[in-house]
Amino acid sequence: MDLLDRGRMIRVSGGLLFLLLLSVIGCAFLGPVPIDFSQVIRFSGSNPDADILFRARLPRVLLGVAVGGGLASCGVVLQAMLRNPLACPQVLGVSAGASLGGILGLIFLSSRLFFGGQTLLGEISGVPLASFAGALLSMILIYRISLIHGRIHPYQLLLSGVIFNAFVSAVIMFLNSIVDFYQAQGILFWLMGSLSTRAYLTVAFIWIYVLAGFFWLWWHGLSLNLITLGEEAAMQLGVDVAKVQRQLFLASSLIVGAMVSVSGMIGFVGLMIPHVMRRMVGSDHRILLPASFLAGAIFLSWADTLARVLFAPAELPVGIITAFFGGPFFLFLLYRGERKKVSL
Amino acid sequence: MNGLKRIFAVHFFLYLLSVLFGCEAVAQETLSTTRGTVIPRKIVSLAPSVTETLFALGLGDRLVGVTTFCNYPAEALRISKIGSYVKPSIEAILAKQPDLVIGISGITDQETIKQLERLGLKTLVIPLSSLRDIFGSIRLLAQVTGRPGRGAELLSQVERQLGRVQERVEKAKRRRVLMVVGLRPLVAVGPGSYIHELLTFAGGMNIVEGSTQPWVRLPLEYVIAKAPQVIIQGVMGSERDSPGQYWKDLSSIPAVQEGRLYSYASDKILRPGPRIGEALEEIARLIHPECFDRSYGRKDKEHRCGPS
Amino acid sequence: MNPAIEIRDLTFSYGDKSVLQGVSFSVSQGEMVGLLGPNGSGKTTLLKILSMVLAGKGGVKLNGREIQNYGRRELSRLVAVVPQENQVNFPYTVAEMVSMGRASLHGPFSLEGKKDLEIIRESMRLTDTLLFADRYFHELSGGEKQRVIIARALAQEPQILLLDEPSSFLDIRHQLELLELVRKLNREHGLTVLSALHDLNLASLFFPRILILRDGVVCQDGPPQDVLTPEVIHQVYGVEVRVFLDATTGRPIIFI
Repeated sequence: MDLLDRGRMIRVSGGLLFLLLLSVIGCAFLGPVPIDFSQVIRFSGSNPDADILFRARLPRVLLGVAVGGGLASCGVVLQAMLRNPLACPQVLGVSAGASLGGILGLIFLSSRLFFGGQTLLGEISGVPLASFAGALLSMILIYRISLIHGRIHPYQLLLSGVIFNAFVSAVIMFLNSIVDFYQAQGILFWLMGSLSTRAYLTVAFIWIYVLAGFFWLWWHGLSLNLITLGEEAAMQLGVDVAKVQRQLFLASSLIVGAMVSVSGMIGFVGLMIPHVMRRMVGSDHRILLPASFLAGAIFLSWADTLARVLFAPAELPVGIITAFFGGPFFLFLLYRGERKKVSL
Repeated sequence: MNGLKRIFAVHFFLYLLSVLFGCEAVAQETLSTTRGTVIPRKIVSLAPSVTETLFALGLGDRLVGVTTFCNYPAEALRISKIGSYVKPSIEAILAKQPDLVIGISGITDQETIKQLERLGLKTLVIPLSSLRDIFGSIRLLAQVTGRPGRGAELLSQVERQLGRVQERVEKAKRRRVLMVVGLRPLVAVGPGSYIHELLTFAGGMNIVEGSTQPWVRLPLEYVIAKAPQVIIQGVMGSERDSPGQYWKDLSSIPAVQEGRLYSYASDKILRPGPRIGEALEEIARLIHPECFDRSYGRKDKEHRCGPS
Repeated sequence: MNPAIEIRDLTFSYGDKSVLQGVSFSVSQGEMVGLLGPNGSGKTTLLKILSMVLAGKGGVKLNGREIQNYGRRELSRLVAVVPQENQVNFPYTVAEMVSMGRASLHGPFSLEGKKDLEIIRESMRLTDTLLFADRYFHELSGGEKQRVIIARALAQEPQILLLDEPSSFLDIRHQLELLELVRKLNREHGLTVLSALHDLNLASLFFPRILILRDGVVCQDGPPQDVLTPEVIHQVYGVEVRVFLDATTGRPIIFI
């Protein structure tokens, strides 16, 4: 009888953590521009190699870790909540709302220094804040719509997410048509996702935020298992389904909102990683969540490295890399794994 | 058969143009005729640079419709607007009953152009990616509107302006330049843009290479590695960042060390129109200030206009 | 000793459709009661109210305590439910499914301990499912799945077992096996059982006491011989049947 035990938790988490560490180091080493490591530790004067490693690459890689982990764990939670293995963070209209907020920010605020001449937390200026505001507003709206008798109905949640996405897409297209050419380019670039960041302060803030959110989700690991059995079954097994759903919705919305605010739309991570990890570590969410978090972090760091390297000197939007590799890989999994997996 | 002959003549004339100026660019443009070759009296412009060129050719009074972004010269503001230049309003254009509608290839919406043609309007779509395209556009617009003389004048005026600037900086050692159009994400002018050519004429060397795109999204490490000596931040959309903020702790970049970080409002530079001469001068002043201002700076070698 | 289940004047409506209109009965500890009634008579609703999935108006007491005073987790250690259908979209093993019955005893981040494992194993042994502990739940047959769900219910260590038409989707062999298992659990382990059923003969065979719900109230309550008569069946279901008493079992057999 093979149930989840402490030993397996430690082995899986430890193994993935180690891989993550290797990835962070590896991705910091790699890039379109070769750097001379012997120069990196020199502290004198101008040091382009150190600048590249510490000011250009490392913040990105670290941000990728947080964003990848955040998106993957939200994917796991949403798939459980909606009882649908095809759910992903984009299904929550929250990311659409965040995009809309970000675009409005680009048009009207765009990097305008906030808070009287000082950017907040090193880099978070008007645009990410506008984006997050968009996320919050849409979260509240969707929450209101999906809440029936104190319970969040997965069906309502899904539908309202779809409609929200469609509506916001329409608004985005409209905005795109009335701004000038260069703004339109800017909007497009922002939408496609980017992990480029400079401020360690921002990265640290996002890390704390994502880790807090992740633990909040992980806290509900056992309840997540039960929720996948159905709301009634979960209730009968002792879960306060209404309360847990509300908390899961809030936590994942807040995480996704922040991710989109900081790095634009990066798809496929939240869809693919939970699937892959489910095949590798099983469906018990107590281990699936941390495993997905770590795997998502690893995946996104490498995807970003590829984004930097593939078409040098140009940098591809990381969302393209994730879609490009994620899509076919996912199809391949579906094709091959049908035997083991239950059909939808 | 007169009509057909005329159509043939126009097409042959265009063929000659393309042979003479060697622009595959000109061959790319489409000139649709339904009523034969008539000197257009009522023109709709779908791009600010076209508007500027037409005004410079003295044809401001023939313009009956411009885009909401056409703001130069001041008279253009008084012409009625037919929409944005990515997606202009077909109805507004139709209402003006123009003899000719002029757009830019690659930027003006293709569907809109096709629609206008189907509705019987004459359209002209010109490329404006390179400097050659810009010169070509001045010539073409001058021909099509029956002002070849004025066109030639304007052209030599612009060429003179360009030449003057080039003379000033030709002795100076080339400086590596990065021209940024956006910071988040970091997007720079690439070899596919006419601005790249302007940078070269201005005595600079665009650090972006290996791409054919007009705008290239760059990872920061690339910029650090290429060590630009001048960073010019053209403004994309409504960004108004002070350039110092973003670059200030990247002390290994020469531009940062020497304080050659400049911010620049976009309207002049980002318009492939008759003001590129002025644009070039402004760029050159940023790249080689020592060649324009005798009293510039200190006595050391770097600050004299000439090879060091 | 408090009755396991005590219901007084229970009413419930879905919107303005009234389903239960004053149900009253009580079930003593260790009883095995069958619940019959035509479709829509409120059997499932009643069971859902007893497991706090729905809330009705009126008195519902479990083990002498008002049901509202139970916390959900506490309740799941008292009452276990075997629902009609088990559609699971995720690949869980049988062992994982059964272990979820222990969930109410665990806080966040805690894993199953030795005692839990023992109980899980025992539950599976009783239901003859230990054999497929590591197989995937969704790969099992209907009958096997039902047994696993019962194992899960047993893992909750309940005193009361509620079943909602548990044998609806099973073939006759599995129907009999399942009800024999339930009877064994009732007789040998003292579980109080309340099961909704649609098959009159199975109800007659296995349940010493039968309640019939109709028009939102309990219209019959007693042993099968008294309750399952042609008159009653005609009144409740609107069909003509013939009823014979089986000499061996003493239970009525209904012929259509």
